[in-house]
Amino acid sequence: MSLATLIAGVIQVAGGVLGAPAIVGLIQHLKARLQGRRGPPVLQPYRELRRLWGKSGVAPEPHTFIYTLAPALAAASTALVLLLLPIGGHAPDWGLGNDALVLVGLLALARFTVTLAAWDTAGAFGLMGAARDLMFSVFVDGLLLLVLVLLALPLHSTDLLSMSHVATLPEVWARPAHWAAALTFCLVILAETGRQPVDNPDTHLELTMVHEGPLLEYAGRDLAYLQWAAAARHWIMLVLACELLIPHPGPFVAQLAVLAAGVPALSVALAVCETVQAKMRVLRVPLLLGSGAALCLLGLASWFAGGGG
Amino acid sequence: MPTRSAGARVERLIGASEALVLAGASVIIVGALSAVVSRSPRAGLTVQSIGVVLLGAAGVWVLASGHAVGAAFRSDVRPAFGVDGLSGFFLLVIAVVGAPATLFARDALEADGRGRSLALATGVFLLALVGFVCARDVSTFLGFWELMTLVPAAAILLARQDREARHGVFVYLAITHIGGAGVWVSMLVLAQHGALGGHPLGGGLAAFVACASLVGFSTKAGLMPLHSWLPRAHPLAPAHISALMSGVMIKLALYGLVRVLFQWLAPPGLWVGITLMAVGALSCVGGVLYALMQHELKRLLAFHSIENVGIVALGLGASLVFGDIGQPTWSAIAFAAALLHALNHALFKGLLFLGAGAFSKAVGSLELDRLGGLLRRMPWTGAAFALGAMAIAGLPPLNGFASEWLTLQSLLHLGVASHLGVALAGALATAALAATAALAVYCFVKVIGLVLLGLPRRAECAQASEVPVGMRASMVFLAGSCVALGVLPGLLVPTLAALGPGRVTLPAGAGLSVPGTGSLPTLALALALVVSVGVLARLARSPRAAPAPAWVCGQLPAAGLAWKAAGFTKPLRLVLEVLFRAHREVQVSVSAGVVQSITYKAEVPHLFDTLLYGPVSQAALRAAGVARRLQSGSLRAYLIYLLALLGLLLALARIGVLG
Repeated sequence: MSLATLIAGVIQVAGGVLGAPAIVGLIQHLKARLQGRRGPPVLQPYRELRRLWGKSGVAPEPHTFIYTLAPALAAASTALVLLLLPIGGHAPDWGLGNDALVLVGLLALARFTVTLAAWDTAGAFGLMGAARDLMFSVFVDGLLLLVLVLLALPLHSTDLLSMSHVATLPEVWARPAHWAAALTFCLVILAETGRQPVDNPDTHLELTMVHEGPLLEYAGRDLAYLQWAAAARHWIMLVLACELLIPHPGPFVAQLAVLAAGVPALSVALAVCETVQAKMRVLRVPLLLGSGAALCLLGLASWFAGGGG
Repeated sequence: MPTRSAGARVERLIGASEALVLAGASVIIVGALSAVVSRSPRAGLTVQSIGVVLLGAAGVWVLASGHAVGAAFRSDVRPAFGVDGLSGFFLLVIAVVGAPATLFARDALEADGRGRSLALATGVFLLALVGFVCARDVSTFLGFWELMTLVPAAAILLARQDREARHGVFVYLAITHIGGAGVWVSMLVLAQHGALGGHPLGGGLAAFVACASLVGFSTKAGLMPLHSWLPRAHPLAPAHISALMSGVMIKLALYGLVRVLFQWLAPPGLWVGITLMAVGALSCVGGVLYALMQHELKRLLAFHSIENVGIVALGLGASLVFGDIGQPTWSAIAFAAALLHALNHALFKGLLFLGAGAFSKAVGSLELDRLGGLLRRMPWTGAAFALGAMAIAGLPPLNGFASEWLTLQSLLHLGVASHLGVALAGALATAALAATAALAVYCFVKVIGLVLLGLPRRAECAQASEVPVGMRASMVFLAGSCVALGVLPGLLVPTLAALGPGRVTLPAGAGLSVPGTGSLPTLALALALVVSVGVLARLARSPRAAPAPAWVCGQLPAAGLAWKAAGFTKPLRLVLEVLFRAHREVQVSVSAGVVQSITYKAEVPHLFDTLLYGPVSQAALRAAGVARRLQSGSLRAYLIYLLALLGLLLALARIGVLG
């Protein structure tokens, strides 16, 4: 195993497990500042997790093993996704492959378990959020796959490592298909991380919740897992954006620098977007995502119009 | 020594796998007959399941060895039977559903006259399915094709005699026979030109045969827009017959399509593949969208059969297109993906229909809004059903994910292929399949939630108890197979790819390592998931978990406020209002300024019925009304018809049209 692969492996695990809550903290902090409040410190999510870890869980009536296992399953499948991500164009061989569609499947598994847990306790607010989350996922998954088609165009591969190699090539700057994919992926980020205008993660009003709804019935370590999984989804999406979409130079160190600058920069962008953008009506979100699909198809057309190179 | 030499000849003629096929078929016949003559159908059904297992073993043998047994295909009408690799694979599909289904029926059927005749029908149905797969000439092929259609109709009428059942069977027979004419036409044209077992048919006639077979076989497969019989007929049948219809029968229509399009026709051109993909995409999205709006479990499952047949059709279409643009490896991969999904769907749909049968035996009606809380009361059935639901939703690490992954990869690689038209088709199909998978997750979260979780919504559910051991065992077997094929799909995929066009060999292994992908190491993924869930769940176990009611803003949860199917799918129904066109009727009766009662009625109409089938059947009735006027009953009118016909023929002969 080369040094680069080793470093990549360490960042995969440490960045995903330890660094992810900082992204959420950073966004919350910046958002408060932009709104003229002092806001929680960047490290607040870690304190939350520590507090939750020490608290006891809840046993709602009725519940089955599905409620009990859901947080662990959601956290586990999100954790496996961390091991698929390329870091600086490298990733150690964990034996899990590096396929983009496996990543999509594991995220779907996490979503399935959380929404099913909402049925287990059958609380009205949890199910309201779950229904909306699943409705969004129909459009988000279709859109994400179109982005992946565009990214697989140059090398004919859904291997995340070769897809990240595509973004190191100099000609990527001149490819409309790549930029269409990048713009569309921004929409995917907003939807997958549950940020405004799609969802508001800081809401305390149950009626407006999407991702937060099914979490209402949880407490203690179970809730800690679910909150970590939500933070890790931010990490996953932002790393994918830096690795696959932002054009970057080839050497490993330079790629790491792009990652180190890109993830915080994208977090800032998310915070700004949340400040200037009001939450959208739930039923309007699919239209927004549909515009992304149109963009992707235009990108595909531009690729073949340009002679496929 | 005449007897000895005859024995030696028999030995030479019949190999071990042939003997297995013959033994299996005769054991099923014995089982079917003994179910009728004995007092209870139990023994007969057990014998039938043994026969099906023997046939499945023969199929696996032929598939693994690669040596066909029995006759080869021939274009005449003398009956002939044989098994090659493709037939062997479909024998396996029949066996993995047939054996658990007969075992299930053993405990599900009553020991009365109706039970005995249903057991006989089950045996005949199995024989029809096997016969169709093993047919090697036109007459047996078409004969068993018809038998395969008619026996389930008989079984439905044996089980139920009410008006709804009779109407459902009528629609089923009408649509499958009108559409099925395409099968007769294509088979007879193929046989006339010696394409069965001879040179594949090419030229303009091939296009005609391709169209006819697409119509004929896709009607029986339940592909949209010729699917309308399926959601009517499947819910009516007894659970084990539904499992066989949905798991096996509609797959055998695809088997016929594969024979015609991949073997008996010369490569038929890009348009056939693209058409098949379009029909497949329509079926998978349309099927799952209507499944989401259903309120009855078996009807919902029937719509999911349309979805899954659509996914198989997407794979087959992609395989044809890849063949046409000169990518044999991906053509074989897409073909293998389609076959793998056919097998997987047989497993989990068989499981889900048997589970529905078990619930129906325990609680009666399967109205989704009036179930609930069955996981606690029926832990075996409930857990197996939940596993099947996860598999059909295409979630890792189960078998549905493996085959959908492979299909999705094929479509995605079509999206990056040679030119814009193909690429657009591939990209759109990719997005459609991804959305379908997400919709299936949506639908089965709803199903598991309403059937298995929460509080029971009526008294029968609160008192439900677990079904007998035979029914449980059959469902556990199917659930285990879903896990096994999800973890080890790589054992089967190279064999299936070798059956396809191009005879491509793929690397063997537990998982799927396909060039141009990041590979799907299913075994490692499953192990990693299980281990990490175990560790995390152990870490999270807190002994002091406090009992609490669900959060309803501080109020106590009220049973009347429980979520129902319509509420859970409402966001999607509103977003796709254009497609669903739901009817909604609210009547408020007010007297003296006080609201006395509110009645609410809502339904999502099946647009294919109202916009396509309705007008067509209306037009047919009107045409019949017009045609009836010709039949006046007056002798003079008939004489005039005869004279007119004679005059027409003479005129045609005069101008030389009639030679």
